[in-house]
Amino acid sequence: MTTTQQIVSIQMSKQVRARGGKMLAYLVLLALLFITLFPLWWVLRTALTSPTFVFSHTSSLLPVNPTTQNFERVLGLIDTSDLVGEGVVTSYMSTATLDFWVFLRNSFIVSSAITLGQTVFSSMAAYAFARIKFPLRDTIFFIYLTGLMIPSIVLFIPNFVFIRQLGWIGTYQGIIAPTFLMTPFAVFFMRQFFLGLNKDLEEAAIIDGATRIGLFWRIALPLVKGPILTLAILTFIGSWNEYLWPLLVGRDENVRVLTVALGIFREQTPQGSPDWAGLMAGTAVSIVPAIVIFLFFGRKVVDSIQFSGFK
Amino acid sequence: MVAGQTRGKPKRSVLFKLLNRLADNEAVIGYLFILPSLIGFAIFFAYPALRAVYISFLDWNLLSDAKYVGLDNYQTLVADERFWSSLRVTVLYVVWNIPVQTVLAVFMAVMLERFSTPVSSIMRGIMILPWLMPNVVVALLWMWILDPSIGLMNEFLKLVGIGKQPFIGSPAQAIQSIAAINIWRHAGYTSILIFAGLKTIPKSLYEAASIDGAGDLTQFRKITLPLLRPVLVFVLVTSVIGSFQVFDTVAVTTSGGPAGSTQVIIYYIFQQVFERRIKMGIATAASVVLFAILITVTIVQMRLLRSGESDLADYQ
Amino acid sequence: MKFLRSAILITLILAIALPVTGLASARQDVTIRYALWDNNQLPAYTECANQFMESNPGITVEIEQLGWSDYWSAIQSGFVTGDAPDVFTNHLAKYPEFVALEQLVDIQPLVERDGVPTDIYYPGLADLWVKDGARYGLPKDWDTVGVVYNADMLEAAGIDPAVMDEWTWNPEDGGTFEQVVAQLTLDANGNNGLSPDFDKDNVVQYGFTTDWPTAAGYGQTSFSVFTASTGWTYNNGLWGNEYYYDDPRFAQAIQWIADLWLEKGYAAPYEDMAGLGYFALFQAGKAALTTDGSWMIGSYLGSEFPVGFGRLPIGPEGRKSMFNGLADSIWVGSEHQEEAWQWVKFLASADCQNIVGQSGVVFPAIPEAADLSLQVRADIGVDVSAFTSQAAEEGGTFLFPITDYGGEITVIMQEAMDRIALGEVDAETELKAANEEVNALFE
Repeated sequence: MTTTQQIVSIQMSKQVRARGGKMLAYLVLLALLFITLFPLWWVLRTALTSPTFVFSHTSSLLPVNPTTQNFERVLGLIDTSDLVGEGVVTSYMSTATLDFWVFLRNSFIVSSAITLGQTVFSSMAAYAFARIKFPLRDTIFFIYLTGLMIPSIVLFIPNFVFIRQLGWIGTYQGIIAPTFLMTPFAVFFMRQFFLGLNKDLEEAAIIDGATRIGLFWRIALPLVKGPILTLAILTFIGSWNEYLWPLLVGRDENVRVLTVALGIFREQTPQGSPDWAGLMAGTAVSIVPAIVIFLFFGRKVVDSIQFSGFK
Repeated sequence: MVAGQTRGKPKRSVLFKLLNRLADNEAVIGYLFILPSLIGFAIFFAYPALRAVYISFLDWNLLSDAKYVGLDNYQTLVADERFWSSLRVTVLYVVWNIPVQTVLAVFMAVMLERFSTPVSSIMRGIMILPWLMPNVVVALLWMWILDPSIGLMNEFLKLVGIGKQPFIGSPAQAIQSIAAINIWRHAGYTSILIFAGLKTIPKSLYEAASIDGAGDLTQFRKITLPLLRPVLVFVLVTSVIGSFQVFDTVAVTTSGGPAGSTQVIIYYIFQQVFERRIKMGIATAASVVLFAILITVTIVQMRLLRSGESDLADYQ
Repeated sequence: MKFLRSAILITLILAIALPVTGLASARQDVTIRYALWDNNQLPAYTECANQFMESNPGITVEIEQLGWSDYWSAIQSGFVTGDAPDVFTNHLAKYPEFVALEQLVDIQPLVERDGVPTDIYYPGLADLWVKDGARYGLPKDWDTVGVVYNADMLEAAGIDPAVMDEWTWNPEDGGTFEQVVAQLTLDANGNNGLSPDFDKDNVVQYGFTTDWPTAAGYGQTSFSVFTASTGWTYNNGLWGNEYYYDDPRFAQAIQWIADLWLEKGYAAPYEDMAGLGYFALFQAGKAALTTDGSWMIGSYLGSEFPVGFGRLPIGPEGRKSMFNGLADSIWVGSEHQEEAWQWVKFLASADCQNIVGQSGVVFPAIPEAADLSLQVRADIGVDVSAFTSQAAEEGGTFLFPITDYGGEITVIMQEAMDRIALGEVDAETELKAANEEVNALFE
């Protein structure tokens, strides 16, 4: 039963204006696309520029003195000690190489585990908050919400001490643990979607003798597949880009993730500047997996949203 | 834990029967559903937070013996001009950051929705790209683009006849520049969230409205905005909270400068810990104050936006 | 849907299976964690570690390198959480606070026990790490400040780099130093700073740039070059409790530097230094001269244009450079203090410092090893004697101001310096107020 109001008369001028508005909207969107993409081109362009030329020709839109050397450094294909011997290494350049594939694997393990855990457990909680009546429900939910507001810098040190007591410093589970069971963000996000679900379906199912678990499993979950996948992607990429926590907990090479590894290209001396070319090459390489995942699942998000829940 | 059902025939295990019996009890089931998250919340959020409140009444650097000082830390804060200025700077940042970002994101999401599925998913892929980069890298990248003398932005402005802008190099533009950098990183991400919300609005409503002769703008006002409310509430609440806690970008680009013009509250807290001899008492007291501000702001938002319900459920 | 449900089931199973055991690494022998921030020194110290492990079987040295800003947060959180490295590279700006927090091992008893000589270093270096008879580190390297110039620009302006052997500076008219800087400044019409037609609002090449946005209260590579040459000193000596930022000589020198961009247009304005900073400006060919520390030599050698290193200008009280040094310290929480001491002892010995010297990256604390470094640079045709001569000259250096509250002073002074540089206030008023705030810390 729609409750839209009737619009009585449509004048020609309105349509014309609407068309003009549409054109404008598309133009704005194009501009936004450009603003989005240009800095990314800058990343790539700098990644392909040889370190010496990073600060000269700063307005050149194309790589200066193009080289794939930065990528080779990032991927650990070059032995930098050879470069040192040739005298080409300067403080512009980090002499570190990345054990890239190991760090990539670690990033994958950590992000996947966090994504799985957080999505599942937060969805379960969100469903309960939206659909099940239990004592203190709204109070607990509000307390969860307040978790969003705790400055993370405050959580840091106690959590680190706790992880250390567990003996999990330098392990995957140490990096994963704090966000594996929930984040207030994820619970809040899913709850908003469960709230929007049609109640009739559930009521019908209850009449058919379905249990709560059955309702969640068979009725609610399929309906919020899109949001769940969205949340999964957001969580995955969010944990993929996490920096400070893995830096403290996972400094060990065995569990070091990509973002932490990229840190070595940042400033090395009090007044030094980052190894721009290396940093940008590292950035370019490290966002590729994220892009792939997004393209692969992003389509799924759209395709998976069915409106079977609506009459 | 929850017993799984294979498709088709449910396995009638003992556990399952027990669960079935319990399933009639809403309260038990409710708690069962939130149990894992409750454990996570208690250990990694609630306990550290309560501990922080306790520490805010101590004079403690985490290394030597703590001394109970009552409200001294709070008094020190109130007397500290830098603290007040950091609150002002933070509010200024939120005021620049949130409205622009939200409007942009809604606009982008609505536009995306109009494209066919393949185009739309490519576009969404593009929109989310900035967010795929670590914060620190984004900040460094923009620091470069916005550099007054060798950055591209000024080159571009010169082409269109606008004079050299200092961006992060002057107190007048620094906080706005940082807001802009974060809008660049988050607008696409936010629009994806809103897009997910748009997708749950039944198409039939729009069709009906079209038949009734409602134009695009009317449809947007009458259908899209009201039905988006749960998602919009979520987006606004979380992004306002996040915005109050801006830190990375400031730490990388300006370190609170020039002349303290970008010293946001979290940076102030960070300085208390890492540059002022681990003054945990002051740092946690400032966090408690920030927490109180955020609670207030959120409650006001929730009230204004009626977050507890959704109009969607009322539609048939 | 199948996929989603199976993912959920897998997660549930995983959650029950947690906690899984971590990567267990078998450790029979003692492992010492050693931290440093400069990755250009990593190869040399890795070499040192290999030699050390060869002669000390049973001790493994693990080197951790983090960038400068992450480094200090990691060290400090490590103190708190009990996870700091056993041995770490320490800085004079940071170490007084660590002493106050009681996080550093006093190695004086060990030095005496093993008869380790502390007089084999450049004079004064070892003493920097002593407070009230306690010793908190052994010197590893040192640095001074010199002038860095773009040789092409000097040539284009017809200036012989030899001018730097004699040039002078004073806070009234800037001496011959200011003349040179003006001559190297070019506006869009090609007029230099000495020309009456010079347009200071339309400069394309600045004569001078410096690292102002991180100068704070030390100005190690920026203002200290000028302020110290007026005879001004930071405070009432080593571990002092009173700062002299309100000294008129200091204010005058600071104002003179700020006026280079505020009034004269000879130096890049504050906003240009605040972005990527002075180094990028110099590399981008926007500035002809800068002052910088010897640890940056390698960075400048990577430039696209020929770069030279010159002597600092001679001020009213002569040529003055800050003399700063790093040391290796042991953390009190280390469970292997004896092994950590063995490693520190080796780092401070000629064996390791010669390796570091041969890398040419920094000047080691032992003069012979520093000569090696000088030689390595000379072999590739780079003259870095501007830095070493400064260190060797009588009265040519002053020490890094070591007092408590380094962190707080940095916060207070950086804000003040920013305001002066932006032209919001005059140096004299601002510095008086800032100095009161700094000295209040010690009450």
